[in-house]
Amino acid sequence: MPPDSGHTFTTSGAARATSRPTDLRARGEPFLWGLGGALAFGVMMVAGLLLLVLWNGFATFYPRPIHVVTLVNGDVIAGEPTRTEDFRPPATEVAALPAAVRAGIETNLGFADRTLYRTGNFDLYGDDFRWITDYAVARVATPPDLYLFERLEWGAFIGRIKSVDLAGATFYAGGIPLDRLVAAHDEARRRWRQIREIEHDEIGRVNQQIESERLALRKVELRSGGPATDYADAARRTDARVVTLTGEYEGLAARAAALKAENARYTITLTEIGGREKSQNLADIVRFYPANDLSVLARLGVYFSRWGEFLTAEPREANTEGGVLPAIFGTFAMTLLMVVAVAPFGVMTALYLREYARQGRLVSIVRISVNNLAGVPSIVYGVFGLGFFAYIVGGTIDQVFFPERLPNPTFGTGGLLWSALTLALLTVPVVIVATEEALAAVPRSMREGSLACGASKWQTIHRIVLPRAMPGIMTGLILAMARGAGEVAPLMLVGVVKLAPELPIDGIFPYIHFERSFMHLGFHIYDVGFQSRNSEAGKPMVFVTTLLLIALVALMNATAIVVRNRLKRKFVGGQF
Amino acid sequence: MQAPATPKSQTAPIRPKARVTRRSVLIADRVADWTIRIGGLAIILAVFGIMIFLLQVAIPLFLGASVTGHFQRDIANGAGNPRFVAVDEYNTVGILIGDDGRVSAFHLPTGAALTVNNLDFGGGVATAASRTLDWRDMAFGFADGHVRFARLDPTAGVIAGDSLPPGLTRLANGDSTDGKVVYAAAPGGQYRRIGVGVATDAAQPIAEGAAIVAIDYRVGGTIERPSRAFVTVDSKGVVRLSSAETRMNLLTGAARTTITTATLPPLPVGTQVARVLLTANADQAYVADAGGTVYRYDTRNLNAPVLAETVDLLPRDARLSAFGFLIGEQSLMVAGTDGTVAGYFRLQRESASTGDGYRLIRAHDLEPHAAAVTGFGASQRGKMFVTGTADGLWIRHGTSEQTLLKLSHAESAGGRHVLLSPRDDGVFAFGGDGKVDFWRVSIPHPETTLKTIFGQVWYEGYSEPGYTWQSSAGTDSFEAKLSLIPLIFGTIKGTVYALLFAVPVALLAAIYTSEFLNRRARSVVKPAMEMMASLPSVVLGFIAALILAPIVETWIAAVILAVVVVPLSLLVAAHLWQILPIDWALRLDGVPKLLMIFATVALGVYLATLLGPAFEYVFFAGDFRAWVNGSTGRATPFLFILLFPVSFLAAQLAAERLDLPWLRAIADRTRKDGVVAMLRWLVLLTGSAAIAYGIAEILAALGADLRGGVVGTYVQRNTLIVAFAMGFAVIPIIYTIAEDALNSVPEHLRAASLACGGTPWQTATRVILPTAMSGVFAGIMVGMGRAVGETMIVVMAAGNTPILDWNVFNGLRALSANIAVELPESVKDGTLYRTLFLAALTLFVMTFVINTAAEMIRQRFRKRAFQL
Repeated sequence: MPPDSGHTFTTSGAARATSRPTDLRARGEPFLWGLGGALAFGVMMVAGLLLLVLWNGFATFYPRPIHVVTLVNGDVIAGEPTRTEDFRPPATEVAALPAAVRAGIETNLGFADRTLYRTGNFDLYGDDFRWITDYAVARVATPPDLYLFERLEWGAFIGRIKSVDLAGATFYAGGIPLDRLVAAHDEARRRWRQIREIEHDEIGRVNQQIESERLALRKVELRSGGPATDYADAARRTDARVVTLTGEYEGLAARAAALKAENARYTITLTEIGGREKSQNLADIVRFYPANDLSVLARLGVYFSRWGEFLTAEPREANTEGGVLPAIFGTFAMTLLMVVAVAPFGVMTALYLREYARQGRLVSIVRISVNNLAGVPSIVYGVFGLGFFAYIVGGTIDQVFFPERLPNPTFGTGGLLWSALTLALLTVPVVIVATEEALAAVPRSMREGSLACGASKWQTIHRIVLPRAMPGIMTGLILAMARGAGEVAPLMLVGVVKLAPELPIDGIFPYIHFERSFMHLGFHIYDVGFQSRNSEAGKPMVFVTTLLLIALVALMNATAIVVRNRLKRKFVGGQF
Repeated sequence: MQAPATPKSQTAPIRPKARVTRRSVLIADRVADWTIRIGGLAIILAVFGIMIFLLQVAIPLFLGASVTGHFQRDIANGAGNPRFVAVDEYNTVGILIGDDGRVSAFHLPTGAALTVNNLDFGGGVATAASRTLDWRDMAFGFADGHVRFARLDPTAGVIAGDSLPPGLTRLANGDSTDGKVVYAAAPGGQYRRIGVGVATDAAQPIAEGAAIVAIDYRVGGTIERPSRAFVTVDSKGVVRLSSAETRMNLLTGAARTTITTATLPPLPVGTQVARVLLTANADQAYVADAGGTVYRYDTRNLNAPVLAETVDLLPRDARLSAFGFLIGEQSLMVAGTDGTVAGYFRLQRESASTGDGYRLIRAHDLEPHAAAVTGFGASQRGKMFVTGTADGLWIRHGTSEQTLLKLSHAESAGGRHVLLSPRDDGVFAFGGDGKVDFWRVSIPHPETTLKTIFGQVWYEGYSEPGYTWQSSAGTDSFEAKLSLIPLIFGTIKGTVYALLFAVPVALLAAIYTSEFLNRRARSVVKPAMEMMASLPSVVLGFIAALILAPIVETWIAAVILAVVVVPLSLLVAAHLWQILPIDWALRLDGVPKLLMIFATVALGVYLATLLGPAFEYVFFAGDFRAWVNGSTGRATPFLFILLFPVSFLAAQLAAERLDLPWLRAIADRTRKDGVVAMLRWLVLLTGSAAIAYGIAEILAALGADLRGGVVGTYVQRNTLIVAFAMGFAVIPIIYTIAEDALNSVPEHLRAASLACGGTPWQTATRVILPTAMSGVFAGIMVGMGRAVGETMIVVMAAGNTPILDWNVFNGLRALSANIAVELPESVKDGTLYRTLFLAALTLFVMTFVINTAAEMIRQRFRKRAFQL
């Protein structure tokens, strides 16, 4: 198509016309700005979203001051200011306000500011958050004796310490030896961890052994077809084992009970801002600090201790507090297992397409299939995974290998293995495309050289082509991992749960439990943000988890890009 | 392998060994060959495997029912001409109850008689009888005007195999009996003990000196405080509605029943009452005469009952032969001697000339029988029922209107007693000649047909047929409404709005990146845009729903304003740029210009938030959400906002064509092209604004109002939010593919165009874009595929309301989100499970078509680009 040059060059008086600058319309400046604006908007969308996540994610754990807000009506509340926003107060409320405030709102076209305070004390107030409109505030103070207690149950407590009872030695506000309190708290927490270890790990192991004894007996029963002599023998043996195990269990339970009794001797009595009291075992307090009386260093200490807890502890309070270790673990385990499954399949297909197949209709069908596999919605994979892997394959495995556990499914329901296989199917196109690129980048001359030296086709591929293509294949696998780690929808159907008491890998034979359901960072975001009692209380957790997930995915993507670039450099040099 | 031929002169003294390739190498080669071939082709298998698997799970939805067994038995009928027949839950025992209270029970598979107690009618013979839907409670009316209640309890309990009582008579299939009770073999070596218990209450006087000719009886309320109501018609034509309350005396243990009776408005003289019906909470009573005329009483106020409606439900020459409720007691099935079977519900109609504003509406016409309908039996679990004629039995479904099974003629089937067994797994027929017929049937999905899933269905209580998705509710009698249309619509709605937002942004950005950015800026900007693609969609959904949605709700006016202000500020900036001296413009081209564009966009957004409240005040009467509800303000402003860009573009195009020599002359003379262009643009802008406003006024005067159409009631999690969040998922895909396509247009075309004097803008729009068009289009298709299948964003941000409207401020429920939410809760192989697999298949097919088309377009593009 010739450029429209009617205005620029006219047949008559060409000499004059050439001296004239190009018609502005041909430059299309306004359109260019429109195009550029779209690009700018897109980049700003990404940047804005990332900044939002980074800011909220990193700021969440930093301890904030506690404000004591006295309202115009005389109420006093204490809380951490969480965020401020513009809002439109209802007309009836505005009408009841003093004239000056009303005029202010009217000049602001009906908008007023309000602040969300995290007041904590859910057990006393029935809510953790409260909106306070700015015009309702009389004054704000930050008294230094206010503490924030993070508790195992009921969320945070904001208030003052009234008294402390350390194994009979009682101290009252004003005379509390802080160092002794801190030391006693550390001791109590240590005992609490011991209790947890006993209850969770050791008693859990005993229970598991009792259960496996029972299952073994059931297996004998199924094999012998009911009460028979060998069944009776087995039953006797099982009973004896169960008696020893029960004894073991009781010993452990007694130890835990003794520790608990010791912990019950250390208590603390707190008062909230309105004067109501609450007594608390010291062991049930995770962390406490005087929020308005902290040095920057102490704040950083709290900040990093919270990060530490987040990364290494288990969730509590319906996942809205505590850590995400099981979710991190589950995400990693599932992703790694997925890579193990996806790698051979993806590489094989790519090898077929590049090295074996003759270009023709079959290859184009394969290509269309690969593209379709890439385009099929992830939820469809989830449906397939549930129906095929879990119900059909898993159901068959259960019937053949675990008849003693029926009707409770073992493999016949969602789990780690099925999730990994489902995601492997989902990510196989990524691996195929990347591997194909890598194979194509191996110069033809190298293959020909190898073949000319008498190597067989497989030897050539195995010794010459694959090693050269390995970085590219790795790139594909890492990209697949990034895609898989961020995918949630199919997992909701094939094995992710909001709270998995047992990790899929532990110290009990056979160490990797493919059939177990697991926790996942992405699902954690969905669950805490949308399924929990109070999405506001879960929001900080969601932001930090989001940050972690994005960091994970970005890290994997960045690795892939670095590997790809190195590969490119290497072969750009090699080809010429 | 052959040794290479080498020149003789260089041959070493060593004789070339006859070298043989090792077996292991050959085997490895062969194995690798096959493994890789099979592995490669497995990908095809995977795609088609998924499709076939989904299909195979979904198909049984459309398969009807099947008969798994049939037998006919002669039984010793001690009940004479029975009034009622029944079978127990496990199809083990059949029961006949006669008019004189005699009860006859028998082992169904063998016909062996069991000894059971009779009902105590005190020697009377019932003239009318009725029972509840679960067959347990019965009421009988007698010639002396008395009424008796009775209960039938097929008792069932499970006992272990070793506690079977001794001395049992073997029946069949491991069943045995002691003459009174059947011990039926159950799984796990256990036995089910099934007997028949009956109880009769004392007679209660209702009609003084007139025989009861019709009765209907309902038990409602709770188990602790049951409410029992019945309606009777006596031989004088008096209709009475009574409620019975039984109080247990705690000291004596004696029960005392008190009955309160209200007389309903009289029927016309000479009405031959055939049947009466009552709803469970006794608020409606229906009296049907033999000719099919129904008198409907509204008895919500028992002190002032009204005859609400009189309607003839049958053709003139037909007589009523069956009249009964389906479960839930809203659907009334009416069958006549002419073979017609139809379903009615009571619906509120404004035009209804009835006493209570409701009317009986004929909603379902079912396949008619050739012969007169003689028997009717409703399911206790769903909307299925069975109709019997002299020719055979048909199992039908009231809502889907399908005939599931036609059981052909059997000797006893012509009788009036047909029923569906309590678990819907058997059909029982008694002909009155001592023969019973029993068919074991399997009807896994009676409620689904292609029509109920993809077509309009008239569900009971709905004012008209429609597309409805509602898969679960609290009550037992709830009927699942499984139309995929609202979900498909939701998917399409989400996709359309997402693409409306994403396609312009992605395409324009791609063109700019490919044609107007230098290499360095591009190497930063492109990965940044592509990074969007790696954001997990659960993150996008969370941000959209919990952060963005509340903000947009408050600032909705500013958001709408931004759509106008940001492009406008870019245009203003562009015209200011044109005023710059050409050497400045050239010097600042590239990165500084890009930064200025960024600044302009940011400024535009800032301006929009600044002006938002004022804009809301002027255009939307101060409150946008009240405005979209239609309660305040006028239609013009929004029409204007939509028309303005259109009229501006039209004006711009017209102005392109229009060459104004005098304007050019001015520009030439003053050498201020930029200023002239700007003035010209300002004129265009104000002119097109005026035109747009004029058109908007005219349209508004003509009654056009977008409220109720594309805009309407505002909910917090809405399609606008979804579209924006989905933009993050779709923009990078379209952007990358389109940019690659534009970039791969051969450099010589670009060079040729520029050499001929085309500006970069002209080159881009008239040379590059048309060449790359099919590649760009393929990018849009792939983006569309992604939008169709996107799940988490829709689950979290779309509100999940399965509705059919285009309102951008309302939510949607997409196929994908619906699967994610409902599949974990559904029972394996149940109707919902299979329907969700069908939804997945629909999604699969939609994306398959889109992706295959995109791939074909892309391949064509590659070929074309290659030829250039």
